[in-house]
Formats: sequence, structure tokens, C-alpha cells
Amino acid sequence: MRSLRRRLELGCRIGAFALLGWLIGTSIFRAPRRAVERASDRELLARLPSWTRTPSSVALHGTLDAAPTPVVLAWLSALRHAGHGVTWSGSPPAAVVVAEPVTAPGGGVRVNVAAPANSRVTVGDVAGTIDSAHVAGLGASFTLPLTVDSLIVRVNQQRQAVARPNDVPPRAVLVVGDAGWEAKFVAGALEERGWKVVTRFAVAPNVDVRAGEQPAIDTAHFAAIVAIDSTVAALGPAVQRFVEQGGGLVLAGASAGARSVSPLAAGAVGARVRRNVAANDTIGLGSTGFYPVTSVREDAVALERRASAVAIAARRVCAGRVLQVGYDDSWRWRMAGASGSEAAHRDWWSRVVSSVAFTPALPANEEKTFDAPVAALFGHLGPPRPAPVASSGNVDPRIPLAIILLLLLVEWTSRRLRGLR
Amino acid sequence: MTTEFVFATAQYDSGDWDSAPLLPANIIDTIARYTEINVAPTGVIAPLSDARMLRYPFLYLTGHLPVRFSDAERRNVRRFVERGGLLFIDDHNHDIDGVFHKTATEEIARTVAPLTELPNDHALYSSFFKFDGPPTTSHELNGWGDNLVHKHLLAVQRRGRIAVLFSSKDYSSEWNYHPDSKRFLSVDNTRFAVNLVVYALTA
Repeated sequence: MRSLRRRLELGCRIGAFALLGWLIGTSIFRAPRRAVERASDRELLARLPSWTRTPSSVALHGTLDAAPTPVVLAWLSALRHAGHGVTWSGSPPAAVVVAEPVTAPGGGVRVNVAAPANSRVTVGDVAGTIDSAHVAGLGASFTLPLTVDSLIVRVNQQRQAVARPNDVPPRAVLVVGDAGWEAKFVAGALEERGWKVVTRFAVAPNVDVRAGEQPAIDTAHFAAIVAIDSTVAALGPAVQRFVEQGGGLVLAGASAGARSVSPLAAGAVGARVRRNVAANDTIGLGSTGFYPVTSVREDAVALERRASAVAIAARRVCAGRVLQVGYDDSWRWRMAGASGSEAAHRDWWSRVVSSVAFTPALPANEEKTFDAPVAALFGHLGPPRPAPVASSGNVDPRIPLAIILLLLLVEWTSRRLRGLR
Repeated sequence: MTTEFVFATAQYDSGDWDSAPLLPANIIDTIARYTEINVAPTGVIAPLSDARMLRYPFLYLTGHLPVRFSDAERRNVRRFVERGGLLFIDDHNHDIDGVFHKTATEEIARTVAPLTELPNDHALYSSFFKFDGPPTTSHELNGWGDNLVHKHLLAVQRRGRIAVLFSSKDYSSEWNYHPDSKRFLSVDNTRFAVNLVVYALTA
């Protein structure tokens, strides 16, 4: 049975030789040294050239408060494919920007921005900022009549750019109704706003007053039909075909109750709400009453409410859009409203028609009109990860050598104290 | 059911605006007789000095005496025209040297724009019945007034539509009778009123 001292001496000897072997091994097979380069989203573009020159063993990490621009993202993606470990962390706002043409004679662009609640969104072009909004819910929508070159959207600190979409060639609007002030002023408002308007106004049995060339009712000729009242039924199944092709249909007043168009409507037509208007009251849209949209269909959306009733509701039917507008005497707003009501009436009706107007499929814009940078970030670099920890490679050889010497000294001293050489 | 067409007679401070009291009922009868236009059974009087005159986009104005609008009347008439209303003025004197003609045309020039001749192939003359121009009246043919048969109506057009229509033909005398008396006429002489109203409602 060996004594405890002899076991200690053996252990010291084995430990010293093991450490010596490890030192020899690490000198032959050197462990890779791991370095990490970090940069914030603002520094990234400036750092990318130097990062490109670093060895692929260097890990690259971006700390992002805003999604990188397409150029930076493409560069990082290229570095990743070249063997660099590229990671990112942070919480850039998950914003999506879509630009689409406004289907109206004046053209323009509608910019829809999906962004987190409480974000601040500004929209502009190369000439400067045009509009801004504070996001309360899911996002914001901007209609820009005139823009220069590409559109620039900022969501908090995140800058996104999309191309201006191609303009939509205008088509005519067919206004159908009984001869009356509402039909006349709706057609007049649209004409004054630049729409080409074709009218069919019923005056007497089998007598229509028609203005403008009367082509076939299809999307090659018309962008939308505005039905002022139930005389739209005279158009028969042509209206349904038109909507299914992608045409827009505005059912004003009680026209949604007409048999041929009621299957297309967003809901049923309720009893007219009549409001008490004093002789000196300023007349506005709907202030003299309206036909509420009742029994709103499951696939329809209520867009405007007055008190507890739905005044405007919309629905998609195949490729077309149908808007049911309960107001039936908007002409009173134009004629007898407050100062500026004529222009407001004109703009309102133009927006109503524009919201449903047929938009033809156009050749794709060469530049993208859609931007989702956070989704692209995930697609190129994967989900966020913590920054890798840097490592310096081999241990300083003086430390194991000192341990070896200490072990050998202990072993030698023990042997000498036992009287051995 | 569309909003009713209400025949409105313009009331102004300076003259005898109510010189043809039977005309509104006669025109309303004519509209109801020939068309399906939803017409109110009675007319209204719309004071030009009151902004509520804007609730009636078709206004009929007549008289024998000088026409001088007050500031309020002038402001309202200007707004009425800008917003798309049609003001039909008929000279009850049938006399181009008469005070009504002179003062009314001056007032319209001052308030809206100068009146110009309306071509006889204008859409007004074919909006319902077909006419080769403004139909003559018995007063013109009798040589009453200025002893002229006026070949044209005058108008101020705005955005391609008639905003102010001025007649020297004295339709106010021609149409100022009880509707029941139409049965004695071989040709209804109020048919042009249908064109006027249909044009106002559709153009």
C-alpha cells in the first residue's frame, strides 16, 4: 500500500507531464482566435468597407434601432455568404410601405404605411417632407396629389424609400338616375374635378336625357358607375358583369334597394333618417338625413357611422368594389352649405368614386413600390441573436509553465524530505 | 324617391317680382304633365337677400320695374351661380328699351358677367322638346312692347352650362294663366318651360 505522500508525488509528476503535453499540443495546433466587430445602424455603412477586408473569422454584429437600407442589407448578406458570421440584435420598427396610384383624373399616389402603434410617420419625396401622422392603431394612409421622384417614408428613425407608381389612365364614370338635383350635381362635381362623365337621366317614360358618348358598360370604357336611385335597375345584369370585371359601383341613397343591384350591395336600405334642420342651420353632408345601411353583410365593412346607424359601407364583389352611400341629397351641402362647401362636395364625390374605380393591371414598375425592410432583414440575416462573445485564442504559456515548475518543485521537495535523491 | 324639384320665384327688393303670380302653378302643371320629374305641387318664394335662396338651384325672376340688387342680394346671386344654380330672368315688359331690360342686364353684368346671345342650336332647345330657337310669344307677334321678335335668348355660361338665362320674350305674360285654360290651346305654349327645367336638372 503506497503512502499518501507517494501518491501526491505521482500526481504532481503526472500533472506536470500532462501540462507539458498540452503546451506542446497547443503550440502545434493553435486554437483560432475569435474577434467580434460591432456597429450601430448609423455606423454600418461607414464600417462595411473595413469589415469586408477583415478575415472571415471575425464575427460581425449590428445593433439596429432601424432596419438597414437595401444597400447595407445586401452588403451584409454578401459578407455572410462569404463566410463571415453576421448577426444582428435590436428592435427596428416592423413597418411596411406600399405606394399605389390614385385612380382619379388628377392622378396622385396613395401611400399606405403599416407601423407599430405610437410610431411617428413622415412622408415626403426628394424635395422634402409632405405630411406626417402619429400611428394610433395599425398604420396610416396618405394621399399625395403631387410628388417628385421616389417617395421617402420615415417610421421613427427608420428611413424607407419606394418608387412612385405609374399613373392610371383615366376612364369615364357613368352617372345614372332620375332627372333631379342630386344626379345633376353629382355629375357636375365629378366633371369639375376632371372626370369624364357620361350621364343617363330618366325624365319621362322611355325618355332619358343622355350626355356624352354612350359606349358599352364594361371596364374598357368605364371606371365606375354611380347609381343615384333605383333607375339603375334599367341597366339590368350589365352592372353585375361590370363589377365582376373589376369595375366600381357606388350605390347612393336608396338605389341599393333596386332588385338588380341589391345582391351587390353592402347591406339593405333602411328607413330614411330625417333630421330636424332649423331654417338657419348650416347644411352639411348628411345633415338633412340619409338612408342607413342595415343588415350589413359579413364580407362588408362599415366605413362611416352617424349616431348608431351605418352611413357608408363597402364590399368587394369578385374583382370589383361596391360602396353603399346612404346620403341622397348631397346637393344641398354644395348649394346651401358653408363657405367652401362647393369644393368640399366636389372633392368628396371624387374621393368616393376614386375609392372604387377600376384600376387596370399596368406593366410592373421597374422600381419597387413596396418596402418591408424588417421582413427583408429576417430573410437575409435571420432572427435577432445576442452578439457573440469575443475570445482571444491560446492561453499565455507562462501560466502552465509556472504550474509545471510548481508541481515538479513539490514532487522534488517531498522526495528529498523522504531521504531520496 | 329623389328630392323634389321646387319651382322658386325670386323675390328682390327693388321691383315687382310677383308680376306673374299664376306662372309657377302653370309650369308645375306642365312639368307634371309631360315628365316623371318629382315636382313639388306648389312653388315657393325665395328672397334673394336670404341665403336660404341657395336651397333652390332653379330660380325664376321677372318684373316690369328697375332691378337693383342690394349687397346681400348681389352676394347671394353670385354664390348661387358659382355653386351651379340656374337663374332664369324674363322681361315682363317685352321691351329692350324698357327699364327692366336695361337695369336687369346691367345688374347681371355687375353681379355675374355680361350676357351674350345663346345660339339657337344650344342643348337647351333640345333637352326635351325640339325647338329651333326660343319659341315666340303672342305678345311679340302682336307688336306689343318693342315690336320685335327676339331671335335669341341671352345667357351667362359657366363651365359650359347656362348659369343665367335672360329672355326678352315675355314668357311671364305668355305663361301667366291658370293651368286649366291649357285645354283651349291647340299647342301647349308652356312646353319650352319643360326644356328649361329639364336642362336645369340634367346639364
